[in-house]
Amino acid sequence: MSDAKAVADRLVKAKRLNALLTPPKELRKSLNTQSAEARPTGVLYGMPVAVKDNICTLEFTTTCGSRILEGYRSPYEATAVAKLKAAGALIAGKTNCDEFAMGSSTEHSAYGRVIHPLDKARVPGGSSGGSAALVGAGAVPAALGSETGGSVRQPAAFCGVVGIKPTYGRVSRYGLVAFGSSLDQIGVFGRSVHDAARVLSVISGRDPRDSTCEDRDPLRLPTVPESLQGFVVGLPKEYFPPELDPAVRRACDRAIRMMKELGAAVREVSLPHTPYAVPTYYVIAPAEASSNLARYDGVRYGPRFNGAADLRSLYRSTRGQGFGPEVRRRILIGTYVLSSGYYDAYYRRAQQMRALIAQDFRNVFDRGVDLLFTPTVPSPAFKAGEKLADPIAMYMSDIFTVTANLAGLPAISLPIGRVKGLPIGGQLIGQAFLEDEMIEAAYALERVVPATDEA
Amino acid sequence: MSVSREEVLRIAQLAELDVDEEALPTLAEQMSRILDYVAQLSAVPANGTVKVFVPGPDAIRFRNDEVVPSQLEFGPKEFAPDFKEGFFVVPKLGQFE
Repeated sequence: MSDAKAVADRLVKAKRLNALLTPPKELRKSLNTQSAEARPTGVLYGMPVAVKDNICTLEFTTTCGSRILEGYRSPYEATAVAKLKAAGALIAGKTNCDEFAMGSSTEHSAYGRVIHPLDKARVPGGSSGGSAALVGAGAVPAALGSETGGSVRQPAAFCGVVGIKPTYGRVSRYGLVAFGSSLDQIGVFGRSVHDAARVLSVISGRDPRDSTCEDRDPLRLPTVPESLQGFVVGLPKEYFPPELDPAVRRACDRAIRMMKELGAAVREVSLPHTPYAVPTYYVIAPAEASSNLARYDGVRYGPRFNGAADLRSLYRSTRGQGFGPEVRRRILIGTYVLSSGYYDAYYRRAQQMRALIAQDFRNVFDRGVDLLFTPTVPSPAFKAGEKLADPIAMYMSDIFTVTANLAGLPAISLPIGRVKGLPIGGQLIGQAFLEDEMIEAAYALERVVPATDEA
Repeated sequence: MSVSREEVLRIAQLAELDVDEEALPTLAEQMSRILDYVAQLSAVPANGTVKVFVPGPDAIRFRNDEVVPSQLEFGPKEFAPDFKEGFFVVPKLGQFE
């Protein structure tokens, strides 16, 4: 097993990234205790796994990157975390993230932005940017993140690591602080497909504490295949628009060529409602968020922002001062689209569009396609501050990832090349609960694709 | 679609959220742009027959009707802003005094 001190040293060494919210002293102490208590028979015995700060742990605080939960210690732990510990893994601190997982750059954290591990002027992606940056920097082999619209796959692509978003209902959401409950899933980062997949297999499976978690056995890991013979891979034309970054296109073309060489049948397909995915997401997710975040009122959790004379002004001042600008914006948008007179025009319409987007995927899979291959993000990591003033430009960073969340499908991002030293991610989207096929194809592609070569 | 300052304030009130006076113009402008952007959904013909898509299990599973204790590691005293004698303590509701 890895020595607790060595684990902590590696994490503390990556301090410049601002990726870890746990103070070094507390981290060292906890890792010592955990490593003494870890079950030597567990399949992840001794493996350090960093955990995004919106997932409840008994070790360390759970702040969701927000002032409104500053210092909050959860009195219970997430099922995913309990399963990791039962498998012998070490909870290697809590990672910085966009406040309440709202953002695509990890610049919207109350505890400062996270630095990209390869270029300090750039963002690591988000919202699980701290987890991605730590895995990218080699500080931990794996980390947990969470996905509502691409918050694992997008930072995985930016940081040159593997990120998996499982099927909705594959992993229990118990203990994952709710943002958009019909979209949220805990996801996994790994340095390799295998590291990510074996953590996923441990945290997956039924949980009586989450009724949206399917009554299924944990995921069984596939073996590494010799070829992709028999796989039909679809290339959705809407994900390869003319304005796609040329380097991203070159890296994708190379990966597609390699899948063909491995024996996969590749064909162009169409998911016609894709252009509506981002607007659909930015109605549904804020609507659910405005409802979920109503619980932070200064009464039951975290700090209370004072100057309040009565209960109403206590709510308002706590929420006004406790939430950052992006969260406030989304609460307001969500409240707006759910308010009387606008519900039909926005929320109902978005729900209908979500159904059409899910139907697009079913149509393609019903016609014999096993998996879809797309770029994960339209461009490599952008510069810090570049998109802060323009929320819509920031939202567009999720254009190729939100569809899988809306349709509840599993998807994986893996590094497929670099442009001027910055990683590019390729995405495989699978059919619901067929993560094993998706991981099998990712294993095969990972073996041949020159992930760190210029595209 | 343009959102006025007054509308932002009305929505903020519904959301129980204080909004800074200085932040209002930017917020109104950003909300207008976001709502304009998502309004493209209304360009697609409405289809009343589309069944709403909900991911996850088709039916709610019920647990056995048994009491299974779920012990918290520590009580609300440690995570609540103020907790006394089994109650969450909040400011007085002045107008009812």
